[in-house]
Amino acid sequence: MNSWYSSRFSLLRIESWESEFTVFQPESEKTHFLNEMGLQILVMLDQSPTSLEVLCRKLSEYFTLQPDAQFLRQVAQILQRYEALGLIERVKESE
Amino acid sequence: MKVGQLSLDEFHALLIGQGLRVKMGPFNLSVQTRLPLLIRQLHQMYSHYSLAEEDEIVEFHVRVIPKHSIRQPLARLIRFEVDGRSPFPPVPVEQALATLEWGVNLVIAMRINHLLLFHSATVERNGHVLLLPAWPGSGKTTLSAMLMHRGYRLFSDEFGLMAPETGDFFPLPRLMPLKNQSIEIIRHYLPEAVLGPEIPGTLKGTVAHIRPPQASIERADEAAQPRWIVFPKWVAGAALRLESLPQSEAFLLLATNAFNYEVLGEAAFDAVTRLVRGCECRKLVYSDFDSALVALDELTDG
Amino acid sequence: MAEFKVDVRLDHHQLLLEAIIRPATLVNYSHLQWELLLRVARRARLLGYLAARLEKNGSLDKIPQRAANLLRSSLIQAKKQQQSVNWELNRVLWALDGREIRIIVLKGMAYQLQDFPNAAGRIFADLDLLVSKEALGQIESMLSKKGWQRHVLTDYDERYYREWSHEIPALVHPERGVEVDVHHTLSSPLGNLKIDPLPFREAAIKVKDKGVYVLSPEDMLLHCAVNLFQNNELADDLRHLLDFHEILQFFSQQQLSFREKLIDRANRLGLGRPLFYSLYFSRLLLHSSAPEQLEKQLNHQPGWLTLRIMHDCVPLALLPQHPDQPSKWVELARLLLYLRSHWLRMPLYRLLPHLAYKFYLSVFPGKSARAKQNG
Repeated sequence: MNSWYSSRFSLLRIESWESEFTVFQPESEKTHFLNEMGLQILVMLDQSPTSLEVLCRKLSEYFTLQPDAQFLRQVAQILQRYEALGLIERVKESE
Repeated sequence: MKVGQLSLDEFHALLIGQGLRVKMGPFNLSVQTRLPLLIRQLHQMYSHYSLAEEDEIVEFHVRVIPKHSIRQPLARLIRFEVDGRSPFPPVPVEQALATLEWGVNLVIAMRINHLLLFHSATVERNGHVLLLPAWPGSGKTTLSAMLMHRGYRLFSDEFGLMAPETGDFFPLPRLMPLKNQSIEIIRHYLPEAVLGPEIPGTLKGTVAHIRPPQASIERADEAAQPRWIVFPKWVAGAALRLESLPQSEAFLLLATNAFNYEVLGEAAFDAVTRLVRGCECRKLVYSDFDSALVALDELTDG
Repeated sequence: MAEFKVDVRLDHHQLLLEAIIRPATLVNYSHLQWELLLRVARRARLLGYLAARLEKNGSLDKIPQRAANLLRSSLIQAKKQQQSVNWELNRVLWALDGREIRIIVLKGMAYQLQDFPNAAGRIFADLDLLVSKEALGQIESMLSKKGWQRHVLTDYDERYYREWSHEIPALVHPERGVEVDVHHTLSSPLGNLKIDPLPFREAAIKVKDKGVYVLSPEDMLLHCAVNLFQNNELADDLRHLLDFHEILQFFSQQQLSFREKLIDRANRLGLGRPLFYSLYFSRLLLHSSAPEQLEKQLNHQPGWLTLRIMHDCVPLALLPQHPDQPSKWVELARLLLYLRSHWLRMPLYRLLPHLAYKFYLSVFPGKSARAKQNG
């Protein structure tokens, strides 16, 4: 099973604008625009490698949401996107 | 020495000789051409510019020269060259002035990275800079033409030039290309404005340039700090609205429209963050220029 | 074409070469010398290089402000390009997902990985990689899966790449726009000069902590020499001669016997000719300290007549034209070298249709996206 980890989180420059965030990623020199959930995903993945299911549970607790299949799919898509952008890494765990 | 103090003969001799070396805001420009039409037009439109100081470097060297085409042997075409190279295809000779002005803007946008280049009209009032960023339908050239004839100092209708370290903005008053209907609007509102010839058939339709006022050009060395960012939008028949705009949205719009935000990397991220945090950000929807001017006056009064 | 008056008191070639060889003298340049130097250096794509040197010895603040602004602007651009290509390499390695593919990084990115003296401020936009022919397809399919796309090519370009050059077209990720060129050869396989990439691949050296390889020092110089004198038309290519010169100097200072090892390697691989010219013109133009005895040890030296012609033509092509006063002699010299480079690269029966097509494009521009870029 896959886990994700934002190992370079401490390098990011984060500016907060009320409920939105501009995030500068020094390695790619790209500026990302994130909402609160987008940023919270990075924050949660910074603490330790986390699987999709655990991440979704933590997110729904944090934002007091009802997690459903669609939410899981959306978060999975965001993780893929973040991985392609180099914001997070996939950690392959041998069972 | 001003261009306007040169006789047409002296002016002509410079353009066909070693080049007319003029000061344009923070840059010096050298222009060479032998086209009689363009020489006459420039003599009028460039009259307020100063010649570059004798012992100063000129940054940009451009030429407008006739081009003979195998495919269109009878067409009278011209070519814009910078340092001996043409960045775009030849155009009919009538478009020489528009091509020259467009070409110089392109060269500035391609080569300058020690300043952050916003795509924005920029004016100054009460010692502070008002940015009017370009976004679709903004009518920024028309609006800045109005403002500069109503007591605002023109910095530029195209560029917001900002020093990323200090946040200072620099004037770059150049000819301003009015497009299509805005030519008539300006003739109607500002009969005192000096307009160049109407040039039909350019990529952007009919274009006529408006000459910046003398005072704006003479004070082009005076930088200023920014205070207001207003995103204008002209909507036919709309009632005037000047609303506050979330800073994050202002950041997004400014950064994505800047010419070299990506190139400057982290310096640009820091500069835009500081700029937006330090400014009042507004969205202006208007259909009528008079009421838009009143609203902008009120905003910039304090 | 109308002729404008040009200030002929300044020799633009001398100005550029002096600036490269003795950058300390730049602080004494007059404004007119600066003005011409900046234009000539831009054309030679060496503004960023000059800026990096001036920044390093702290003289950017001692030169005229307007010159410093243009130099800083170029340096910022060069740093951005280096960062972009560096990040592209990071993303390529990510897309390959730990597959055991031996990737050798070439040219600009390789100089940057090793922090060579010529790397600072060097302008380059592409990521060039060398892999085995067998790995080519796998890399292309893995990159495609992660969003890279083939650079838009005309049918003609595509056929030229695949059939004649046996390379794949550049791959570009649309969000980043950096061209990734994946090669399996070091020169056109149809050229007169056959270069077997195998010894180059076998001698490649692993870059610490990067998961990629670069060519060995000798091979890197030979590759540079081959690119200059076998693959290219030499026009405005001074910067590649400068690469050669600086890298040679760098390794010569590190290892006493480096130059001899380089000669040996060139002779063993049959690449004496391009190395000969690179050494010869480094000395002629850039005042390289490598002794003349050195290239005398090479096999495949050119005959005296060939050398005489190259001696006259090559500097005219390598050095940039005066921006206000292009010389017809230079055009002729460049045409000769252009024909030479195509002669070297391809058998004649294939050369003719390719050149004819290029000519057609120059008369009717806009027929091919790629031709526009080249023109």
